[in-house]
Amino acid sequence: MEIVAAVARLRVANVLSPTQAALFDRVARRHLVSVRFEVRVLLYLGVVLLTSGVGLLLAEHHRELGPWVIAVAIGLAAAGCLFWVSRQAAPFSWDEVSSPNLAFDYVLLLGLLLFASDLAYVEAQFTLLGPRWTHHLLVVGVVYVLAAYRWDSRTVLGLALTTLAAWRGVSVVLISGSFGTGDASALRSNSLALGALYVGAGALSVRWKRKPHFEEIFANAGLLLVLGALVSGVLGDQPMWGVWLAGLLSTAGLVMLLAFRLGRSLYFAQGVLAAYVGLLRLLFAPYGRQASSLPLLLAALLGIGALTLIFAAHRRMTER
Amino acid sequence: MKRDAVSWERAAEVCEAAQGWLRAGAIDEATHEAIREAYRDPCVTPSQVWRALTAVMTTAVILCALGAFHVAIRPSLKVLPVLFFLFATACLVATERLEASPRLARRGAAGATSFWGGVFVLLGLGLFLSATAGISDDSAIDAVLLASALVWGAGCWRWGPPLFAGFSAVSLFLFLGRFPSGRVLWVLAGAALAAVAARRLDDAAWAPSHRRAAAVLVVTGVGALYVAVNVYSLDEQLLEELQRFSSARIAPAPGRFAFIVSAVATAVLPLVVLLWAWASRRTFLLDTGIALLAVSLVTLRYYVHVAPLWVVLTVVGAVLVTLALAVERALRRAPGREMAGITADALFSDEQRQQVLQVVPVVATLTPPAHSPVAVEKGLAGSGGQFGGGGASGKF
Repeated sequence: MEIVAAVARLRVANVLSPTQAALFDRVARRHLVSVRFEVRVLLYLGVVLLTSGVGLLLAEHHRELGPWVIAVAIGLAAAGCLFWVSRQAAPFSWDEVSSPNLAFDYVLLLGLLLFASDLAYVEAQFTLLGPRWTHHLLVVGVVYVLAAYRWDSRTVLGLALTTLAAWRGVSVVLISGSFGTGDASALRSNSLALGALYVGAGALSVRWKRKPHFEEIFANAGLLLVLGALVSGVLGDQPMWGVWLAGLLSTAGLVMLLAFRLGRSLYFAQGVLAAYVGLLRLLFAPYGRQASSLPLLLAALLGIGALTLIFAAHRRMTER
Repeated sequence: MKRDAVSWERAAEVCEAAQGWLRAGAIDEATHEAIREAYRDPCVTPSQVWRALTAVMTTAVILCALGAFHVAIRPSLKVLPVLFFLFATACLVATERLEASPRLARRGAAGATSFWGGVFVLLGLGLFLSATAGISDDSAIDAVLLASALVWGAGCWRWGPPLFAGFSAVSLFLFLGRFPSGRVLWVLAGAALAAVAARRLDDAAWAPSHRRAAAVLVVTGVGALYVAVNVYSLDEQLLEELQRFSSARIAPAPGRFAFIVSAVATAVLPLVVLLWAWASRRTFLLDTGIALLAVSLVTLRYYVHVAPLWVVLTVVGAVLVTLALAVERALRRAPGREMAGITADALFSDEQRQQVLQVVPVVATLTPPAHSPVAVEKGLAGSGGQFGGGGASGKF
């Protein structure tokens, strides 16, 4: 309602041209409506259902159909999707390339997921990698990275980074509900190494101007892994938590400083939250299991300090 | 809402629209500045990341302070409500102060204080009724649900968060579900709420956030109506589970006529909502209709096994992808890239932000589960594994 009135007023004041005013008025009155979001949701649901259906088919009927039929059928479906994508795609560029249409990203995703399913199935049936069968995730992750660069897909890049993390045993998927399985210190080391690699890749993307728009995907995944590993060390490593805390605070401080200079609010937020959680351990550690109001009061005061920092940073940061 | 807050919100609406026009290249920087000058919004409006961060830290401060007081005075169950009421008062006063300041109103802190204020009021009331006043659990639950509908409704009316309208409506429906004729009340109240709220969606006298709250109420009303008439809900007596503990909770099994009417309603209601969306050209109704249609198809599959599950999933997935491709292609190739006033173009929304946001659900649902490299290196032989990708987890 405000927009309809404002467009009319701005037209009278000659701020908007007749063409501009006519278009804005149509949209404000819902005479022109975009269903872009709805088409995206349908495509996403379609891809999820299709790949789930294929997964179920393999799980239930792989004996009846035979391994060759299944492997070839899924391979053909994946190839079909990727062939369509390569026909539609614009030529490669190190700059951002717009998708030719809305479906492009999702058909690419479907093709790659079918490829990953096929590879897992072939490995399960024919044990090509033998005892190192989990390395199929490395292959899948690398193929995802190559596809993300060739076809300029942030979505596929995000999937590639989490797949590579899964290869090293680190789960960053919320629904799995854990930091991963297996030896905690090995997982932390993997997480730190991968996270540093991702952050470095993000920085180099910008510096070398090679898909610089991938920076936020690389850096957010990397920071989640690095800060997550450090927080896990502070909360979970009983004898060495002080060392982990020192590492966490220095890393979080560096992240906040760089985020402030780069104008990246999401990186800054991750740094603040990680540092706060780490400092909570410092506040509560002297009291052990003893109930005391002092650490809680200090935690509240620390929160007020964090809010002051947030307000000050927001006032001075030029967000990009 | 205060008159000042409403006028700030109206100016913010225009500024936000102008930002979208600028982003889409429909206006130049000079025009954008002229619009901002004409509709000056005095409020500091940080991005969603800043607001979420502020809300999280405010929540930490409130809960830690409450915990500190609780540990310090160790109140009995009879005194605990007083502590909750004191904190509720502090939170509500803080909200009033924050909302009155253009520098602080939209930073996320007011949202957190108002939310926790409402929660503490309800916790205090619940504890007071059950521990201090000693009334029965049933009556205490009824009173808290009714109070919840009122508290969140008042919070929405005073400060504007549309989410509070949703809390209020859900509380009201839970309260109505406590009655023996709860299902009928859900049908009546759901239809009435959707109809009444729909009349306010374009009411210029209402603040923008109140109109958004009206949209939330429409969706909640339609959702409640659908739950009440859904054949699975009737068959499994899901709503009857909400009834008072003291009443006879086992309702008689639905008769054949009721079952048929319910089955028809399950099929028809999503189509009615989709028709309503088409007629009113509101995308939130379109989204609601699509969601209800999906639930109806799942309900159909539950009762009618037309094919094995993998066939249903694959066929429905293929149909959805094909449908989306066809719609997008038809709209893209239509004259002016629109048909009957509908387009697949982004118009003035932030396309780049949506592309970044779409990474989250894809990564969350389609990343393969993590393998344990340690276990593998210790000699777990290649006896197969889980499928990587597609969200499938069939083991071999």
